[in-house]
Amino acid sequence: MTERTFTALVGGKAGEGVKKAAQVIAGVFCSRGLHACQDDDYQSLIKGGHNFSIVTAGDSEIYCVQQNWDLLICFDQRSVDEHVSRLRDGGLLYYNSDEANCEHGCGLPMNALMKKHYHGPANVSMAAVAILAAVTQMSKDMLGELIVNQYKREISENIAYAYDIYDLVEQRVDLLSWDAAPLASRFISGNQAIILGAWKAGLDMYYGYPMTPASSLLHYAALKQDSLAIQAIHAESELAAVNMALGSALAGCRVAVGSSGGGFALMQEAFSAAGMVEAPLLCILSSRPGPATGVSTYTAQEDLWFSLFQGHGEFNRIVATPDSVSRALGLSAELLSLAWEFQVPAILLTEKLLSEGMTDLRYSDESLPEADPHGGQPGSAYKRYSDTESGVSPLLFPGSQSSPEAVIKWSTHEHLESGLRTDKADEIVYMKDKRQKKAAGIEAACSRYQTFSEYGDGETIIFAYGSTVLELREAMKYCPESFRIVAPIYLEPFPEGLAKFRGVSAIVVEHSSTDQFARFLQWKLDIKVHTAIRKYDGRAFDPNDLAKQIVGAINA
Amino acid sequence: MRDLNTPKANTWCPGCGNFGILNSFKSSVAKLVETGIDVDDIVITCGIGCHGKIFDYLNLSGMYCLHGRALATAQGIKLANPDLKVICFGGDGDSLGEGLEHTLFTAKRNMDITLILHNNGTYGLTTGQFSPLSQKGYQGLSTPRGSIETPFRPIPLLLEAGATFLARAYSARPEQLSATIVKAVQHKGFSFVEVLQPCVSYNNSYQYYNRMVKELETIPDKPDQAFKLATDPEAVYLGVFYQESKSVFHEELYKSRNPFRDRLPSSQRILL
Repeated sequence: MTERTFTALVGGKAGEGVKKAAQVIAGVFCSRGLHACQDDDYQSLIKGGHNFSIVTAGDSEIYCVQQNWDLLICFDQRSVDEHVSRLRDGGLLYYNSDEANCEHGCGLPMNALMKKHYHGPANVSMAAVAILAAVTQMSKDMLGELIVNQYKREISENIAYAYDIYDLVEQRVDLLSWDAAPLASRFISGNQAIILGAWKAGLDMYYGYPMTPASSLLHYAALKQDSLAIQAIHAESELAAVNMALGSALAGCRVAVGSSGGGFALMQEAFSAAGMVEAPLLCILSSRPGPATGVSTYTAQEDLWFSLFQGHGEFNRIVATPDSVSRALGLSAELLSLAWEFQVPAILLTEKLLSEGMTDLRYSDESLPEADPHGGQPGSAYKRYSDTESGVSPLLFPGSQSSPEAVIKWSTHEHLESGLRTDKADEIVYMKDKRQKKAAGIEAACSRYQTFSEYGDGETIIFAYGSTVLELREAMKYCPESFRIVAPIYLEPFPEGLAKFRGVSAIVVEHSSTDQFARFLQWKLDIKVHTAIRKYDGRAFDPNDLAKQIVGAINA
Repeated sequence: MRDLNTPKANTWCPGCGNFGILNSFKSSVAKLVETGIDVDDIVITCGIGCHGKIFDYLNLSGMYCLHGRALATAQGIKLANPDLKVICFGGDGDSLGEGLEHTLFTAKRNMDITLILHNNGTYGLTTGQFSPLSQKGYQGLSTPRGSIETPFRPIPLLLEAGATFLARAYSARPEQLSATIVKAVQHKGFSFVEVLQPCVSYNNSYQYYNRMVKELETIPDKPDQAFKLATDPEAVYLGVFYQESKSVFHEELYKSRNPFRDRLPSSQRILL
């Protein structure tokens, strides 16, 4: 294989700045024109335990991190014990010799040097940044500049400490000879891309309640509230968040809510309400292993059917899932736009791996759609649910300025065109039929966008969706067998273009223990499942391991 | 002035306390319009239950919400467009049972919203089960031996939670009720009006209230006085128990910005 990659792992305890150090390291790679990906492994605890972050960089696009290290940096013994076995031949190991021992590698007195340089809070993660700088042949001045740009506190102590560590590092890696051109990109997470895409399409308000791995949607919207003129509201519960969002949509703001499976389950009734009141509502469901509290900080694809059948009763919805961070940005804009075009709820289904995983993102915003309502005529004749050919009723927002004399009544009861409640048989049918008319328009509108993707051109067909596609694309680089990845982006309505795969024999790869996606494909396309490759331990596939499993499946 | 009636046939039981609330509210709206509020800026929400039917009897914009969520939706409306006058109708099951969290948090935030609580002490529309405000011993289909729970005391509860206007009115005293609603809507901050509303079918409390109600002569100026009067065992006081001027949520959040009015145009939504 001609792919050149470099993978670094930083390991230590929660609270030691492992993730931040890895982000700085990834930033160094990106600033040199390399592509990079980062994955953070952590548990539900704030101090102690074992956290590690992996960064893989390369001279072609990186889809997910590797599980063998060229550089291993360990702040404690547990990090050495857990990760030394996957150090590549010729890989470099640096560990904190004040906390750990190892037969090979290079011990550095990280604690002793911290005592020397810090008077207040010390930052061992600075050692990782210094080691990376030295190994990759950055100058000391560049290291100093990096620290100034990336760390806000104890700058002089950080620099002094980093310089001492830098001087102790002797090994070098020749990344400079890699033929990489500087690229305009930013290093962002899937959740950040989702907020940015929705904002581009018109998002005004984001409502949430913290739940990993969706919390960073709320955090990012809150962080950007001034620069993006977006409002993030941390409500008292998911129930509050989604019902508030319905109110804000009624008042004319473009809104989104997000959570993981548990919080999304709490939002179910209001999701149905969105169907009934015909509220344009973008929902982001970022999965982690379930059921119930499950495994808080790891990845899974257990919520496929849950998302497809979210809510009680019958109503239109759109469900789609991004197969990359850049797709997450575009899809988020598409879904917000579609939700407003048809006044329906839409779900962006994703997983921890994509939500929290970071990657260098190149994008342009020229073709992203906007979320605009199908407007109506103000005045006393206005009816919120008036029937139209498309089933989409004109939408006005209350207020003397925007809609004088219009009475705009939304109702969770079955209702008349005026929004007043009804229990009459013929009137129930009339309004159900009006709503259902939207289905054809939704299907046609979704097909404006890319509804599925294909990668590779082998005979063997492998179906996957969401972040599993990233794992497969990385595995494809290392797999001696050729194959074609087929990935639906839109799940509901199901892409018409996939009909060409009806009845095929295929491998299905998913993070589910019950073959949810394989069964979904059997239902929609009547495929024959040649081999189901499942992973449901919360962890991502190692691309090389996955490549081996694919070889095994093809030759079985 | 807009005709506030709708073509919807009224289905409350004859003699229901809700009629008093509906009629008083209509005259409150007329008074508010006289003071310069535009009727198009009034938005109402309600929950599910007998109280919620008021939504269909009022020719005003708003949302007939999910059970328990009327105040959450009301907050979302206010947060999106603070220029609107948002008024929420709640039942005791809706606002203090299924949706208690939203009631407490709306008060905690001092959201500039009015909650009109239809306190009938029962679940009327679901055939008379006990409610969070039913008296101990109340016998309903789900509590045939009588409720063993002590009811909430709504005014002390919301006083502690942070409401800045707390009042009690009685559906059979329409003038006092209407005047109280006007004051509540005019108050800047979270205003709470507990309306005693007899349920003729399951909790007919007319005689009791007619005997017990007394109008407060002045507004107590201290929370502990308000607490004492609101829980007086000898009399059911009507009037404003407490009023306080305090910063409201949307102004703390936005200053004068209005997310709906001041939406960022697409020309200013540029990535990178």
